[in-house]
Amino acid sequence: MKIEVLKENLKANISIIERIVGKNLSLPILNNVLMVIEDSFLSLVSTDLEIAIKVWMLVKIIDKGKIVVPAKFLSSFISSLPNEKIVMESVGQNLHIQCGNLKTQIQGNNPEDFPIIPEFKDLEYLLVDSKKICQGISQVIDLTSQSQSRPEISGIYFSFLKNQIKIVATDSFRLGEKTIHMDENVKKEHSFILPQKAAREIMNILENKELPVKIYFSQNQALFELPMKEVDHPQAQITSRLIEGEYPNYQDIIPSQFKTHVTVKRDEFLNHIKTASLFSGKVNEVKISVNKEKQEVQIFAKSQDVGENTSSLSAKIEGESIEASFNYKYILDGILNIKSSEILFDISKEDGPCILRPVGDSSYLYVVMPIKSI
Amino acid sequence: MQYCHLFMENSEIWKSVLAQMQLHISKANFATWFQNTEIISKEDEKMIISVPNAFSKEWLKNKYYKLILKTIHDTDNSVKELEFVIKPQSLKNFNAVKEVKVLEEIEKIDAGQLKFDEFKINKETNLNPRYTFENFVVGSFNELAYAAGLAVSENVGNTYNPLFIYGGVGLGKTHLIQAIGNKVSDNPKKKKVRYISSEKFVSSIVSGIRNHNIDIFKASLSSIDLLIIDDIQFLAGKDKTQEEFFHTFNSLYEKNKQIILSSDKPPNAIPELEERLRSRFEGGMIVDVSLPDYETRLAILKTKLQEKNISLPDDVLEYVASNVKKNIRELEGALNSLLICYKTNNAVPDLETTKKLLKNFVFSPFNVANYKKIIEIVAKFYNLEEKNLFNPTRRKEIVRPRQIAMFLLREELKYSFPAIARKFGGKDHTTVIYAHKKIFQESQENNKLTEELNVIKQRVYSG
Repeated sequence: MKIEVLKENLKANISIIERIVGKNLSLPILNNVLMVIEDSFLSLVSTDLEIAIKVWMLVKIIDKGKIVVPAKFLSSFISSLPNEKIVMESVGQNLHIQCGNLKTQIQGNNPEDFPIIPEFKDLEYLLVDSKKICQGISQVIDLTSQSQSRPEISGIYFSFLKNQIKIVATDSFRLGEKTIHMDENVKKEHSFILPQKAAREIMNILENKELPVKIYFSQNQALFELPMKEVDHPQAQITSRLIEGEYPNYQDIIPSQFKTHVTVKRDEFLNHIKTASLFSGKVNEVKISVNKEKQEVQIFAKSQDVGENTSSLSAKIEGESIEASFNYKYILDGILNIKSSEILFDISKEDGPCILRPVGDSSYLYVVMPIKSI
Repeated sequence: MQYCHLFMENSEIWKSVLAQMQLHISKANFATWFQNTEIISKEDEKMIISVPNAFSKEWLKNKYYKLILKTIHDTDNSVKELEFVIKPQSLKNFNAVKEVKVLEEIEKIDAGQLKFDEFKINKETNLNPRYTFENFVVGSFNELAYAAGLAVSENVGNTYNPLFIYGGVGLGKTHLIQAIGNKVSDNPKKKKVRYISSEKFVSSIVSGIRNHNIDIFKASLSSIDLLIIDDIQFLAGKDKTQEEFFHTFNSLYEKNKQIILSSDKPPNAIPELEERLRSRFEGGMIVDVSLPDYETRLAILKTKLQEKNISLPDDVLEYVASNVKKNIRELEGALNSLLICYKTNNAVPDLETTKKLLKNFVFSPFNVANYKKIIEIVAKFYNLEEKNLFNPTRRKEIVRPRQIAMFLLREELKYSFPAIARKFGGKDHTTVIYAHKKIFQESQENNKLTEELNVIKQRVYSG
C-alpha cells in the first residue's frame, strides 16, 4: 500500500474511528486500525466487537494493499505532524510515513488477524435526515439506565411505524420520547434497541451533517450509513450489535389525565431550579408548589447543612393547586432537552408521573416521576 | 462403527472440534471467537452452529470454515456443509458484582424517588427485584426458613420440595420467597421462575374456565422450573382451584421442579384444604417464621436506616425495637413516621418525641391481649363456637382447647387461678391449676403443641 493524503483529512477521519478503540488485553488486535485501499478510497476500520466504525476518504493512490497499526498511537503521531501532505507506505507489516523532512516507521500487525466486519447485504433500508436523527438521539441519550441489571433499558429504543420514528430512552425514573416524521411510510413495522455507546458514536458522526442517513437492520445488528457529499459512496458506516430483549411497554406509563397544567417560561424555570438545587441536600430534592389562585409556581429546597431557599415565578395554571417534590437533576435534564421558549408542565397527581414538553412542538415528551411526598 | 458416529452427541462432536481448534490458534483468539458456540442441530448434510455475535460468525465462516468442517467430517462423514447462526447471549451477568454496587449506590441516592410502577416488577417472573437475600435480616426466629430458602435456591428442585413457609402477617414470608425466586432467576443457568399470588392463581383459573382456555394457563405453568405461590391459605374452600392446583403440583413435582408455598398457618391448620393437597404440602420441608426477638428488631431497624442512608440515635432505635413488636411491617411503619418527622422538622427525633410519635404503635388496642380475644381466637383455632368452651362437658375435643385457653389466660394475662375458674362457669380453681400444669408440661415435650400455642399467641397479638 502506498498513498498520499492531506494531514487534516487523515486526522479528522482517524479521530472518528479511534473513539471506540480501547485497551483490549485479551485481543490486542482490537487496539488497531485497519487501513485498506478500496477502489479509489482509503478506508479506516476499528471495532470493539460490539460496534464497528468504517470511514472512507479520497486519497491519491499509488499502490494497493492493507495494513494494521495501533490506532491511538497513529492518531497522536499524525496530530503532531505539520499540516502538509503525508506519504504512507506499507513495508511488510510495518507502516512507513513521510511528511516534509520527517521519516517514521510504525510497527504493525498482520491484517489477516483483524476481525471481519459483518456485512449487510440486500437488506431494506430507511432514509432519514441526519440532522433529525442526531437531534433526536441527543434529546434522549442521557436518560438510559446505567445499570446492566435490566439490559433492555440500558439502550435506546427505536421504533419505526408508518411515517414515524420514535426514539425512546428511560432509566425507570424518567423517560424521553422523540418522534421524527418522515416523508414516506415504512413498509414494515420495525423496532430495535441500540446500545447507548453506539448511539453516542452515531450522534458524534452525524453532528453538523445535513445528509440523508441510511439505516439498515437485521435481527441482531443495525447499520447507520452516512453518504459522501461529493460522490455516490458511503462516507461512514457504524455497525452495532443490538440489545436482546423486549422494550417495556412504555406507552402505558405516559399519563393521559392530569390534575394540573402549568405553562412556564423555560429560561426562568431553569434558573429557579438551578438556584434551588444548591439547597437540595443529599437527596437532590426540590419541591414545586403550584398555586392556582396566585397563578404562580413556588420552588422550595432545604438542606440541613446549607439552609433553605424559596423562589416563585409566575405561570399560567389550569386545574388544581398541587405540590410535588422532584430530584432536581431529573427536572433539569428535562428542561435542558427542551429548546422552546415556553414549557408545558403537566402533573397527573401527587406521587404520579409528570410530563414536560415544549410549547408548540408535539415531537418531544419527557416523563418524570416525583419523590415520594410526605 | 458407523452407528456409533451417528449417535454421537452434538455436544461431543463440538467438543472434539474445539479441542482441535485449540491446537491451531492462539489462546486469546480461541477465547474470543469460540466462546459460547455450540452445535444446535443437523439437517441432512448441514451442521448448524450457533455463535454469540455477528463478528464470531464472520470470523468462523471466513477463517475456520474448512478446518471445522474437516474435523466434523472426520467424526461424522455425512456432514458436507456448515451454517452459522447468531444466538445472542444475555449480558445479564456481565460484571455482576460491580453492578450490584452501582445499583446500591443509585438506590441510596434515590431514597424516596419514585419509579415507573410498570418497570419495577419483572414481567416474566412477576418478581419484585427489591426483595433479595442480601437485605433479608436473619435472626433466631427465621434462620431455619432462611437456611432452607438458601439451600433451595442453590439446588433447585432437589433439596426440599415443596418448601412450605408459614408465619403470621408482616414477618417476611413474601420477602423470603421472592428472594429465592430472584436468586434463582439471576442464576446464569436460566431457570424459569414464576411467582403467583393465590388470588391471581384463582382468578386465572376462573377466567380460564369461563373462556374455555384453561389449557393455555396450564401450559404456561408446565414449563417452569420454580413455581412460587404466596398465601396458599386462600385456596381454602375453592375446590375447583384446588383440583387444578393439585394437577399442576403433581406434574411439576414429577419433573423435579421446585415448588415454594407460603401460608399464614401450617398445612394441617388450613381449614377446608383437600387431604391429598395437605399431605403433599407436608411431604417436603415445612418451616416457620415467627416473631422477631428484640435484637433482630434492632438489626432490622438498622438495616432499613442503612438502606435509606439516614441514622438515628441508639436510644430512639432501642425504644422502637422494644416497644413495637407486633410484626416487621409495623416496625417499618413506626420507623417511617419517625423519618417523616425527621424530614419535616429537620431535627433528629429524640427519645421524648419518639415516645409521643409512637403512641399509636405502642398502645394500639390491637396490641394488647385480653380475655375476650384469647377465648375468641382459641375457639376459632380449634373450629369451635366460643360458648362450647364454657360447656361443662368432658368431651375430649372441647376439654383440650379449654385447657389451652386457661393456660393462656394465666400465662399471658396473669389472671389468678380462682379468677380463671370463675370465668369458666365456677369450676374449682384446682381444675385450672391442673390444666395449666398439664399444658405447660406437655408443651415442654410436645413440639406440635408448642407450635399450636405459638400460632395462637401470634394471632392474639397481631389482632
